Amino acid sequence: MKTRYSLSWVAIGIISLIVLGPFLWGLKTSLMAPLNIGLLSSGRIHLDNYRYILSRPELGRYILNSIKVAAATVAIVLPMAVAGGYALARYDFPGKKLSVLLIILPLVPAISVLVPMIIYLRRIGLFNTLAGVVLANIVFNTPFVVWMVRGFIAQIPREIEEAAEMDGCSPLGALARVIIPLSVPGLIASGIFVLIGTWNNYLYAFAFTTSPDLRVLPQGMLAFIGSWGTNYGGLNAAALVAMLPPMILFLIFQKWFIQGMLAGSSR
Amino acid sequence: MESTPASSATAGRVSGERGSPAAFWSRTRLPYLLLAPTVLVVFAFLIWPILSLLFFSTQSTPIGDKPTFVGTGNFGLLFAEAHFQGNLVASLEYLGGVLVLSVPLAYFAAVLISSRGGTAGIFRTLFLLPWVTAPVVSAILFRTMVDADGPVPTVLAAMTGKEWLFLVRSNLSILTVILHSAWRSFPLEMLLIAAGLATIPMELYESARVDGASEWTQFRYITFPLTRRQLFIAVLLITIFTLQDSESIFAITRGGPGYATETVGVRLFKEAFIYSNMGISSAIGVILILLCIVFLALYLRILGRGQAQ
Repeated sequence: MKTRYSLSWVAIGIISLIVLGPFLWGLKTSLMAPLNIGLLSSGRIHLDNYRYILSRPELGRYILNSIKVAAATVAIVLPMAVAGGYALARYDFPGKKLSVLLIILPLVPAISVLVPMIIYLRRIGLFNTLAGVVLANIVFNTPFVVWMVRGFIAQIPREIEEAAEMDGCSPLGALARVIIPLSVPGLIASGIFVLIGTWNNYLYAFAFTTSPDLRVLPQGMLAFIGSWGTNYGGLNAAALVAMLPPMILFLIFQKWFIQGMLAGSSR
Repeated sequence: MESTPASSATAGRVSGERGSPAAFWSRTRLPYLLLAPTVLVVFAFLIWPILSLLFFSTQSTPIGDKPTFVGTGNFGLLFAEAHFQGNLVASLEYLGGVLVLSVPLAYFAAVLISSRGGTAGIFRTLFLLPWVTAPVVSAILFRTMVDADGPVPTVLAAMTGKEWLFLVRSNLSILTVILHSAWRSFPLEMLLIAAGLATIPMELYESARVDGASEWTQFRYITFPLTRRQLFIAVLLITIFTLQDSESIFAITRGGPGYATETVGVRLFKEAFIYSNMGISSAIGVILILLCIVFLALYLRILGRGQAQ
């Protein structure tokens, strides 16, 4: 029993190493002088790589674009998901069975759908705009997030809402005054889910924009890989800076976030 | 719209009292109004584009010119092409490699984080980090590790005395993108499997132990059958994500060297967004969707057969 116990600690140690290794190596590389990335190379820690990337004007623009896209996506997807999720959690109506599409559609490869979307966006004048990128993020997040929010609302005891309606609340009043306040953890989880997905994605922006000025952060980093080649110190510094916001949000809200994921994908 | 007599008869609230006729009317309509934005987005920007994709896959010309109907010409062209056959093989190698490496690791990690008390949460969080990292960020981290001066080739060279050029050799490039993707995929699989493990009553293991069942027997007859459904979902999700992945491969190798890591997803990425070749990329898009459906059907059959036993 005792050996089994320590063996499982060894296993946990190995998996932790597999998971953390790339991050730690990236951190080390970003803190070393350029051309000093060898395995045994040491040397003083310095912040030149961070100074270098933070002094590049394009990095600020990419970050700003990413913030705009992520904020707009969350601001539009979340209200839609609350309305749709509430309807699915609390009402029975003809056609409700079609809601199964909400868990099937996220399985359709997004990259396939992007091809005809390019043609439509050109027609409606949204090609090569951030609005087009926001639209793509909305489209690919909505089905799953509606399903996720439905799960959170379904967990709220119906009696609370019925009591509110007894006191003269309309169904929409009950949604605003009872359901939404009670599902705040779930809504935060859903919002963070959308935020992380949008922040990390470069596919939609790559497909729908051509101007370097409109690049979102991950797309900018892809361009850095192309233009900086093996300046690994700079690349890793940029990667770690880009990683920070989703990582921090995840670490703060992970409990709700994980609940939401499981509620969404295993039912 | 599907509607059974039973469901239209009970239209309105699932439970609760039926109010005045006006309130009933609004309650009948309310769910549709609330769902309207979602339905609009889904139909206009998902279902309609999927249908258009089928149409565009039969057209030959790039945007701007007059489109010509070529029927299944694009598909014929693709399947006859050694390049595209190579893309298909690369996709299957990529998928197979990712599943073989990530699923056992995920099972193992799920058992580990489920079996201990207070510390489990910390490791669960830690193990999930790859999953919330942007593909382009992890691509940079992995490139750094396997590039000529990186730690992995250095250690391997010291051990074997040979040179390990990960991003230059075909086999090693495929291995790099597989390792990267398996690293990104295992956390979600672990999370789903751990959710399955949490539903197994401890008494099952206790009585198995009383009966003298070995660890392996317990896994074979309790753990595995009772997490089969979660395993199915995990494998299905990762299969579909892996088949359509273009972002992470493109960031690490751009599909190279040559076409060694150019999977169907990466080929589609290049044809659509770099060469703007709409006819061919629509055909590849259709093939990618069909590929996902084939795997879905395959897994459903395996799941069904397992449950029939």
